Amino acid sequence: MIIKKVFSIAILAMLFATACQPKLDAPQISVEDIWGRPSPKVASAGAFYMRIKNTGSQPDTLLWAGSPACGTAELHQSTMSEDGVMSMQIVEGGSVVIPPGETVKFEVGGLHVMCIDKQADFSLGDSYDLTLYFEKTGELNLQVEIKNP
Amino acid sequence: MSNSTLSSTLRYIRIVFFILLGMIVIYFWVAPKALTGTILEPAELAYDFDLKAADKNVRLSDYRGKVVLLYFGYTFCPDICPATLGTVSQAFESLGQRAENVQLIMISVDPLRDRPEILGEYVTHFHPSFIGVTGTEEEIAEVADSYFIFYEAREGTPATGYLVDHTTTLMGIDKEGHLKLLIPFGATAEEIANSLNFLMR
Repeated sequence: MIIKKVFSIAILAMLFATACQPKLDAPQISVEDIWGRPSPKVASAGAFYMRIKNTGSQPDTLLWAGSPACGTAELHQSTMSEDGVMSMQIVEGGSVVIPPGETVKFEVGGLHVMCIDKQADFSLGDSYDLTLYFEKTGELNLQVEIKNP
Repeated sequence: MSNSTLSSTLRYIRIVFFILLGMIVIYFWVAPKALTGTILEPAELAYDFDLKAADKNVRLSDYRGKVVLLYFGYTFCPDICPATLGTVSQAFESLGQRAENVQLIMISVDPLRDRPEILGEYVTHFHPSFIGVTGTEEEIAEVADSYFIFYEAREGTPATGYLVDHTTTLMGIDKEGHLKLLIPFGATAEEIANSLNFLMR
């Protein structure tokens, strides 16, 4: 009798534990503090900055960014040489890996979403749709806020 | 030692300690902040360029009597140039009335795409007093060379068109037209304001 009881409790406990198991083997992406500087339409290229966090156990890759505010958007990186020369280019493969347990910062002087062929004046307080597409997580529909740092 | 001698010694030590502490606090409070950038010594006369703004020709010597900051950039630049111009604008704002004595001039390293009107509209967005100038490719090459500014067009993507690598240092010129201070990219608005105060002396 007792053995049966213990056994069924044990089974229930195991089932419970399995159900409560956090999903292993997956990335967990969140994007914070997405912003861009105010700039007029005559400045045909703009930059969006943000922090992309992966609290999961697997990497994910940001493949693509798009926004109605931009004719095209690409992922670019600025690099500074020792003698103060700044160079900018599209990231290798056009995509950015977000490793597990890390936060990848898109910030001034580094990685940024380059908003090419701006469709409007970016004014302080404006907000635009931004879609980020990740290899595993898929599409995230977000907002860019136009503000001063 | 007797009790009274001990306590008066301790009191003496305490007084000295607080005086020293006070001196250290006052020192850091009034000490001039270290300048961000490289001071050029001896400061030579800066190259007097003659370039086109949207509505007029601009020579550096037109601004004799004011502190001039020169920045070499281009309007297709999405990240560094807006960051620098935005920061200089904040520095100007923090100077209040004294900002009348400073002038920022942006010189385009992309004369093929940056027409004078576009340049003018671009810079005044950051601060109404900013001036943007451009010229022929030869003129720009000569000015950049005179200020030891490196710039080079590189292939971008089909969407971006060519991109221009360029030196991002701000050139600080004093009221008498001497190139005196090189301010690196990354200087904060406060540091730039500090540098402007130094140049205004």
